[in-house]
Amino acid sequence: MVFFFLFYQRNKTEGFWVIFLYCILSAVADTAHHHIPKVYSFYIFSSFTIIEYTLFALFLYLSFKGKIFKYILLFCSVLFYVIAAFNLIAKRSETFDSLPVSLEASLLILYSIFFLYEQITDPAIFYVYYSKKFWIVIALLIYFSSTLFLFIYAASFTRQEHKTYWTINSLFDIIKNLLFAVSFAMKKNKQLKHPLEDLYPDTY
Amino acid sequence: MILLQITNPGSNVSLVLYFGTIGMLALTIGLIVFIIFHQRKVIRYQLRLQRMEQDQQKLLLNASIRLQEEERQRIAADLHDDAGPLLATARLYLNENLVNLDKTTQLQSIYNAKSIIDDTIQLIRNISHSLMPPTLKNFGLESAVNDLFQKISGSGSMNASSRFHDYRERLQSENELIIFRVIQELVNNILKHSNASFIHLTQNTSGTKFFIRLHHDGRGITQNDFNKLNKSNVGLGLKNIQSRLKVLHGKIFFEKDMSQTYYKVTIELVNEEEEKLQEQE
Repeated sequence: MVFFFLFYQRNKTEGFWVIFLYCILSAVADTAHHHIPKVYSFYIFSSFTIIEYTLFALFLYLSFKGKIFKYILLFCSVLFYVIAAFNLIAKRSETFDSLPVSLEASLLILYSIFFLYEQITDPAIFYVYYSKKFWIVIALLIYFSSTLFLFIYAASFTRQEHKTYWTINSLFDIIKNLLFAVSFAMKKNKQLKHPLEDLYPDTY
Repeated sequence: MILLQITNPGSNVSLVLYFGTIGMLALTIGLIVFIIFHQRKVIRYQLRLQRMEQDQQKLLLNASIRLQEEERQRIAADLHDDAGPLLATARLYLNENLVNLDKTTQLQSIYNAKSIIDDTIQLIRNISHSLMPPTLKNFGLESAVNDLFQKISGSGSMNASSRFHDYRERLQSENELIIFRVIQELVNNILKHSNASFIHLTQNTSGTKFFIRLHHDGRGITQNDFNKLNKSNVGLGLKNIQSRLKVLHGKIFFEKDMSQTYYKVTIELVNEEEEKLQEQE
């Protein structure tokens, strides 16, 4: 959040506000989780999962160039919301919403791969790592792929197991936030001159 | 969906969890590294291609500069070696008029000077015509090519004929000049190197495409030879053809006839004006 404001001029376009909003909501949800009685934690987790998915999916939707990927995202989102809503209503007794979170992680991994595929197949884009969005997507990819197994098993954890294994989530959450910070701090036009321009300085 | 939520785990949860997490992380990092390296590789490959194209452009440019220089040298030599002495001689005759007061000698020297000046005019006209054929300028490509082929045939060294099947509307004059120069260069090559007994030129159109085909029965080159010569330092004329056709976005194909007896050169051009018209329709 600090980095977003520090480099506000670089981040005010291209949908970075979505990630900023996510950072705020994530901080609020974490704080609420520690201060609200455990019986409500399922609702907090479930609601946060839906919001988290919505924000990341929106960011990726805004980043996609191809219509087909946008349609896939929309279709999968409908599926996700149905399952998440069903889970929220039907499984109130559980402590963690494993199914929607795992589904969310899988879908976001898939969308991230779509995004990277678009980036490498677009001839106008060179050196993907000079793009601010690339680092956001890498953060998502690393976070969700590393925590996928944790989320799949989370519903079955005992309190002790939860404490032990939740370190994985915390660790990759930090990595994700660091990568977000890198992205926010990157210059907007850090893209160097296209290497092919050097050959024909006057023609490009 | 069961796969996405384990509610009754076995005893080896930690093992699956750690290996699963490490495996997924390794896959992700592998994917990122692959993307970065793949992209760098693609860029390197594109750079290499661009460099090769740039080298080719340099060769073509050098060829066209050398040809221009050769042309200038030829014109300079023509003017210096032929027109210069002729005019100097005419000046001598006229000078004689100032010294010699005899009427008959004066008349004779004026007549000589006049005839030398006529020769000089003819010479300069020839130089001018070689730079820009008047037939091409006034009557178009078809007439200029027919004229050129008649001259070749008239020399008796070779049987040359041309036929334009569909040339009702003239191309732009600068395009006609480029095509004419290409034909001249090709014919010149055939005369110099092929030892052919005939050349036949045909013109055709197909849709928005404009074709000129040259047939001859001498020794010719194929597309492979053309490409090789284009990349080497020899074959100045061929490079010149290539660079001229590049201006018109045209293509040239060198091949042997189906019967393996004749060599065939095809020039393919796109009539951009007609293409635009068709697109509008």
